[in-house]
Amino acid sequence: MHTSSGASIEIRKLGRIPFAEALAVQNELREDRLAGAGTDTVLLLEHPDTITFGRASRPENAPLSDSELRCAGYEVFRIQRGGDVTYHGPGQLVGYPIFDLAQRGRDLHRYLRTLESVLIETLAAFGIPACRREGYTGVWIDERRKIASIGIGLRRWVTLHGFALNVCCDLERFDAVVPCGLPEAEMINMCEFSASLEVSEVLPRLEAALCKEFG
Amino acid sequence: MPKVIRMPKLSDTMEEGTLLAWRKRVGDHIKRGEILADVETDKADMEFESYTDGTIEKLVVEPGSTVEVGATIAIIRLPGETDAEVAAAGVESSTLAPAPAVAPSLPRAPAPAVAPSLPQAPSEPPAPASPAAQPLGLPPALAGPRVTPLSFDDGRLRATPAARRCAEERSVDLSEIEGSGPVGAILLSDVDAYLRELEAQTPEADGVRATPVALRVATDLGLDLEAVKGSGPSGRITKSDVEAFLDREKRQAVEREGELFTGVLQLSQKRKALIRNMIRSKEEAPHFYVQMDVRADALRQLRDRVNAESRKGRPRLTYTHLIIKASALALEKFPDANATYRPEARDVALFGQINVGLAVDVNDELVAPTVKGCQGKSVFQLAEEANQLIQRARMRKLQPSDYSDGTFTISNLGMFGVNGFYAIITPPQSSILSVGSILPRAIVVNNELAIGTVTTLGLSVDHRVLDGVKAAQFLGEIRRLLENPEELTRDAHEFGS
Repeated sequence: MHTSSGASIEIRKLGRIPFAEALAVQNELREDRLAGAGTDTVLLLEHPDTITFGRASRPENAPLSDSELRCAGYEVFRIQRGGDVTYHGPGQLVGYPIFDLAQRGRDLHRYLRTLESVLIETLAAFGIPACRREGYTGVWIDERRKIASIGIGLRRWVTLHGFALNVCCDLERFDAVVPCGLPEAEMINMCEFSASLEVSEVLPRLEAALCKEFG
Repeated sequence: MPKVIRMPKLSDTMEEGTLLAWRKRVGDHIKRGEILADVETDKADMEFESYTDGTIEKLVVEPGSTVEVGATIAIIRLPGETDAEVAAAGVESSTLAPAPAVAPSLPRAPAPAVAPSLPQAPSEPPAPASPAAQPLGLPPALAGPRVTPLSFDDGRLRATPAARRCAEERSVDLSEIEGSGPVGAILLSDVDAYLRELEAQTPEADGVRATPVALRVATDLGLDLEAVKGSGPSGRITKSDVEAFLDREKRQAVEREGELFTGVLQLSQKRKALIRNMIRSKEEAPHFYVQMDVRADALRQLRDRVNAESRKGRPRLTYTHLIIKASALALEKFPDANATYRPEARDVALFGQINVGLAVDVNDELVAPTVKGCQGKSVFQLAEEANQLIQRARMRKLQPSDYSDGTFTISNLGMFGVNGFYAIITPPQSSILSVGSILPRAIVVNNELAIGTVTTLGLSVDHRVLDGVKAAQFLGEIRRLLENPEELTRDAHEFGS
């Protein structure tokens, strides 16, 4: 049994990059980890307007067709991650940890819960009280309002994809889909608690929380 | 012993998992490290790899079903295992469910490519060296598809000369046949069996003739076989035909692109946002258009007179400033025009402010800074604010608040020689005024031909908010004000004092 005490993580900040480019970087890192090389790495970035469908996506959660979504300015991807459809866009801080969980105790759920802890700590640094919701992976303000989404992919214990924290994104851009397939859930931004907050201000806090929980 | 594959336990607390999709079919070969299935638990998808080499004997769980951790989900027959060994392990033929339909359900895909009920080749005894290709003594309806492409370790296709000759004569695509000879070599008997199987194949309803393997490849890719030319037995489309077709398509697409374009312009975020807004507007707001010619002689005289006075601290007036003032006054008189349709509520909401946006081109970028709270402001105040906004726009110093919350927009292309036009409404506004050139034109006055300064105003209107008559009255009011411009400066005396 490995412990996480010896593990360390590398954080790479990629700025605003298209989904496909970030996915290529993720795949490269994953290949390294699968081959037993490289280090556990977190990519932190923003995407342009993008809709991604997880494997469990139900058609009713995307009322628009792919071509309609593209017309509306979204890039559209169907990917191998958990969860339903979601939106990424400017003002949303996205994190892709490429971790080898075989070296971190081989426990998928502990990993998911730790990701939630990282996000909850980050939010607490700005005085935003957030919590988990039993059975609904992600980070919530209350029963209704969701501030961060999680969806990951796993191959031989190496993770892909990750989390998306709404800092100051255009929430209306979520309206093209039913985020996470939860029609009653409402997406919310950090800047609603802490006015004029920007992604660049949240980054250092998030990095600190990631290092604390995973480093 | 065949390998029993169980729902993996991905954490201490995981109790069940959902099988999202199979990546292999019954009868397919699988190598260690190849992905067998996608499994989901709690927002995490796992690509489930095989940790053994073998042939898929059985897929127990239907895609989409949730089973407990540890439950059997599939059985893999190890290389060299016989029926007896498989049976001894409790995998009896009678317990085998028909292979689930594992073809991805692409919308345009033709009928399932390799149906479980594919007719079996008759009686020929299977070659002893090929346990993987044996029909397992199962009733034909229960056996998995036999015809599967086999990928050799070195990627080479092995076949005996007799098999190759026969394949050539009968236009058989050898890559579709699984060899039963040593090191997987294709024998003449394999080619014969394959041909018999093709003969027994039920013709497709839509008349497309293709081999089962080609059909499956096409289904997986969502490819319509209609356009593919067949070179196989009796003109059937083979896997090689499909691959060649796809290669050609790809090459042609690249060539076409090279011929069509000499370069690509990357668009800014602002530009993309503008495109989104314009599409939204044209899709959601039913536009209609009204147009009027406006005599602008009095307007020109007023502008020249006021500017000649050139009082200190007072901005020089332009036609644009006067049109902003006229629009603001007309909107005050027609509150219905200063309004927006709300699709969710299916109502029309009246804006509390009159905020007039000005479409401005700055270095090829279109922005619309907004003069806020126009009601009660004199033409000079409006001019002052508009000038500041335009200057900030030119210096690229506009803040989001400078171009948000507009309730009406003015677009002027007159200086570019445009007589009249109709701009697209900026959502959520309900109309936009398009101003053409203000120039001397031939006009008719008292049945006489005369020369007058004229401009053409176009108003694009959201029919959900205003009807034709209202739109005409509203535009008519703007015209009345521009033709009687003293009203535009009536409240201006205190400015600059």
